[in-house]
Amino acid sequence: MVRVKLRYLLCEVNVSDRSRLLLLDDRAVAVAVKAAVARMHGDYGAALCRIRFSVKYLNALTGIVFLRFHKMFYRLLWSALPFITCIETRGQKIECFLNCLHVGGTIRTCQKFLVRYNTRQLHRMLPKCKNEEEKKHVREEILKCCLTEGKREEFVEESDSEEDEEQ
Amino acid sequence: MRRDDKKDETSLFRRVVLKNAALYHYLKVSLVLEDESTKLSAVDLKQFIITGLKNLFGEVGAALSFDLLKYDEETLTSFLRVPSRDLVRLWSSLTLLGSYKNRACAFRVLQVSPYLLSLTGNSRELKLD
Repeated sequence: MVRVKLRYLLCEVNVSDRSRLLLLDDRAVAVAVKAAVARMHGDYGAALCRIRFSVKYLNALTGIVFLRFHKMFYRLLWSALPFITCIETRGQKIECFLNCLHVGGTIRTCQKFLVRYNTRQLHRMLPKCKNEEEKKHVREEILKCCLTEGKREEFVEESDSEEDEEQ
Repeated sequence: MRRDDKKDETSLFRRVVLKNAALYHYLKVSLVLEDESTKLSAVDLKQFIITGLKNLFGEVGAALSFDLLKYDEETLTSFLRVPSRDLVRLWSSLTLLGSYKNRACAFRVLQVSPYLLSLTGNSRELKLD
């Protein structure tokens, strides 16, 4: 049997003003991506973008987006992402750009990468903390993700069937 | 071979095999317009083809480099040169160009070849005169 192969792009929405991130919703992101693809790759790209494209996950607090593309032409569609300069939601324009962090074959590998990436970010934040309270907070967070990671490892070992394939 | 080269270069028989050496493909294209009286200059034609590319392949497609080598205004026949890599894209956009100034039109691709010389002969109509 052959199954449909997909690619999940883990992207980060970068904005100058963090508070505007909360306005984001997945439909607006999808519309922005589709518009960028249609502009850069014309009708052909827009048609490809209709095949199995979706925004799987959006975290408005951190600005993390999972985009799903078909494996066959994700490179073509991916190349249009840098041309997104603003996302329009509820009549407001959010100036932003997408930063692609990871490309994975399954959502799970993307998730694993995201956990690792965020842990690293926390480690980086630690020396920059101004006062004790912040420091304590960040430390707690790091400890928390260590705990969940440990639990996850145990769980994963039982059934690790789907491997991530990077091209 | 190397040793022979040193010995005598003038009387040497050399066999050179080139694989996919042609960088460009050449197309002989004629435009058929519904309204016969419409005049099209070479610049108009190129502009027309570029808009077609832009519709189908977007800004990336419009940036595709192709040249209009020769154009005959009477018969609306032109020779296009395009890098081999972009041949398919140009051809498909020509196929899908359906209207010029809101009148129906069509591109007929008469001949395609990687060598310009082979466009001088015509294998399609075989007119012997």
